[in-house]
Amino acid sequence: MFRLKPARKKRPIAVTLIAWAIFILFLVRLYQAIEPLFNARIFETGLSGPLFDGLHLTPLGSALLTSTVYSLLSLSGIVVLVGFLRMKRWSWIVLMAWTAISLMVSLLGYFYGRPNYIVMASDTFIALALNQADVQRIFRIRTDPGERLD
Amino acid sequence: MNASIDRPHMPADADDFNLLRRFEPVLKFTRGEKFYPTDIETYVRESSLWVHAPDGRDLLLVPQGELNLEKLVEPRPAPFGAVHYLRFIEPLSLSEAALALAEQSRLNAESQNTFHAGLGRLARGGLFPRIVDALFSASFLLRGRVPAALAAAAEIAYHRIQQENPRYSYYGRVVRHNGWIVLQYWYFYCYNSWRSGFNGVNDHEADWELVSIYLYQQGDQLIPEWLAYASHDFKGDDLRRRWDDTRQLDLMDGHPVVYVGAGSHASYFRSGEYMAEVNLDLPGWVRRGFAVFSKFWVEVLGQQPVDPFRIPFVDYARGDGFSIGAGQAAAWSPVLIDDTTPWVSQYRGLWGLFARDPISGENAPAGPMYNRDGSPRGAWYDPLGFAGLDKVPPPPKALTLLEENCDKLTARQTELDWLIPKKAGELQAIGIQLKGMEGNPHLAKQYAALEKVKDALGAEVRALRREFSENAALLDGLTKRLERLLQGVQDDPQAHIRHLATPVVATQMRFERAAQTWAAISLSLLLFTIVALMIFTPAYLGSGLAIATILFLVVESILRGAFVKTVTVITTLLAVLSAVILLFHFWYWILIALLLAIAIFLMAQRLRELE
Repeated sequence: MFRLKPARKKRPIAVTLIAWAIFILFLVRLYQAIEPLFNARIFETGLSGPLFDGLHLTPLGSALLTSTVYSLLSLSGIVVLVGFLRMKRWSWIVLMAWTAISLMVSLLGYFYGRPNYIVMASDTFIALALNQADVQRIFRIRTDPGERLD
Repeated sequence: MNASIDRPHMPADADDFNLLRRFEPVLKFTRGEKFYPTDIETYVRESSLWVHAPDGRDLLLVPQGELNLEKLVEPRPAPFGAVHYLRFIEPLSLSEAALALAEQSRLNAESQNTFHAGLGRLARGGLFPRIVDALFSASFLLRGRVPAALAAAAEIAYHRIQQENPRYSYYGRVVRHNGWIVLQYWYFYCYNSWRSGFNGVNDHEADWELVSIYLYQQGDQLIPEWLAYASHDFKGDDLRRRWDDTRQLDLMDGHPVVYVGAGSHASYFRSGEYMAEVNLDLPGWVRRGFAVFSKFWVEVLGQQPVDPFRIPFVDYARGDGFSIGAGQAAAWSPVLIDDTTPWVSQYRGLWGLFARDPISGENAPAGPMYNRDGSPRGAWYDPLGFAGLDKVPPPPKALTLLEENCDKLTARQTELDWLIPKKAGELQAIGIQLKGMEGNPHLAKQYAALEKVKDALGAEVRALRREFSENAALLDGLTKRLERLLQGVQDDPQAHIRHLATPVVATQMRFERAAQTWAAISLSLLLFTIVALMIFTPAYLGSGLAIATILFLVVESILRGAFVKTVTVITTLLAVLSAVILLFHFWYWILIALLLAIAIFLMAQRLRELE
């Protein structure tokens, strides 16, 4: 028997652009995760030294920590990206919170003389795009008067 | 016009005193209220009279125990800028203040008439209003204010007066204006303890409040039609409710019920808790700057409008405490007043302490007839205008006026019916003449003159037609209204109200206890964090402060169930700041990108036209 396919929500262009921005940030974060490991020659020599010197991290420990933080960030970026492309409400909230943290870090970096304008610009773009009424409606963040939230 | 027949009424020849008594309101207070409408004679006897001289000195004119109403109204010439005022409580020494506060605690414990705020006002607003509220509280360090011990001493003094001679008074005035009979009930309280007792905006010695009832005469009866209760933030039409508006007005055996705000003594038609928002007095350039940002925030960024400079205060008018009036725990002792009552008309000073507050919130009010600056009070000399009734005729007169208007308009329409065709005919005749003149150069002068006449007549005909059309619409409206009134159909009783005072819905917050505790301690905690940052990590003060503020906001938003909204606002603000930084550093490249985008867009448009 012929069955109609359920109507799919149309994905606004802003959602696609945000998804691309997340993907680019994922690549940047992935690079930031791998770079310290290369610099510490971990791929060549393995974990050949101690990670801690007393209560302080050794350069190797610091490289591993930085890499872990950026790996987590890039992995969370992928999870958010999947949720975002499937237009899940939680992914919008997580992305907004994630952007707030990222913007905060970027701004602090800027005021302490270590600006990263690419990340700042990407985050600004994502924040403003997430604020678009169409995007908020499709993620059920904003509803029109009388509209029922599922 | 029989809608009013079931209302309480009084014979038209009833004397003013009985008229006042028949409709005197029932006042219902909030549990915890300490001051009730009282008798001014005792109050004045307990007070001293002072003058604040323009050079800043305060001089005692009549000491406590020697003052009475006769002495109060004695003429006392004073230089410009001088302020006469009463002091119910004499200046207190430190030990007297401590004693008063201790005695107040004992009285409260004994009476068990205690107030519970419920969900506190600070928990009802966000962190930013709380910061602004702290600034408002700090402004008392610069402004004049009534000391806290004064409230305690006033409470003790009032308690003693009530013990000796328990009396609940109102000062009634009857005035007849434009077909309305206005009953004014003036209530005097020894003290307004809104700030000290109920976390409100202000405290001041003495408080005058007003409730007005507007009657009209039908046949030989006087029938109540409107009521106006004096309240914060409302004026004119918004103060008024119709007698038959059962959604807005409670009646007890023909007496209107007034729910009195705890400490503030503002009057409300419905019981409940009212949010009274106070605007912070900011310099004009700050307000203008914020208005520009607000426009950008709402129109460009699509965010909800916010006004962080409004501080929320709650006026508790629960009506769950003591009641005064017909059939209540206490009865009224009415006193009739008018323009000739000496203390009303001849004493223009303040009825309590002049606290030298430049924005007057803590200064005592003047009497019923005057404002604080000694100018006449609108509610006294224009009781109709006070409630927006100056434009409203009493119902029987409304019908006559409506009929007169309809008749006048109908007559004018008949006249226009005849006049318009006549003038239009004249215009056509001139048009024919002008056509005949065309092509005859020797008639140029006459043609020009006649053209002017044609233009003037054309304008006149257009104006008459417009008048006819407008009159027809107006007549239609008036006729329908007349028909409705003749059938006894009344207007919506709330049609005149633009801003309706509505009690706030008692909302439940998640983790309510935690939310309240957080609201009480959050600001101090933030200040402690700043101090810790300054001591332990001064190099990271800026970043630490920013992170701490955001963390506080996030905790706040979780407790208030507004996480998404808060995160959106924070992210948007950070994005705006980042955009400004990027624009500052890369404006040249942004300009180039914009020009490129416009060029590509235009090229695409033009190429599409070629297809």
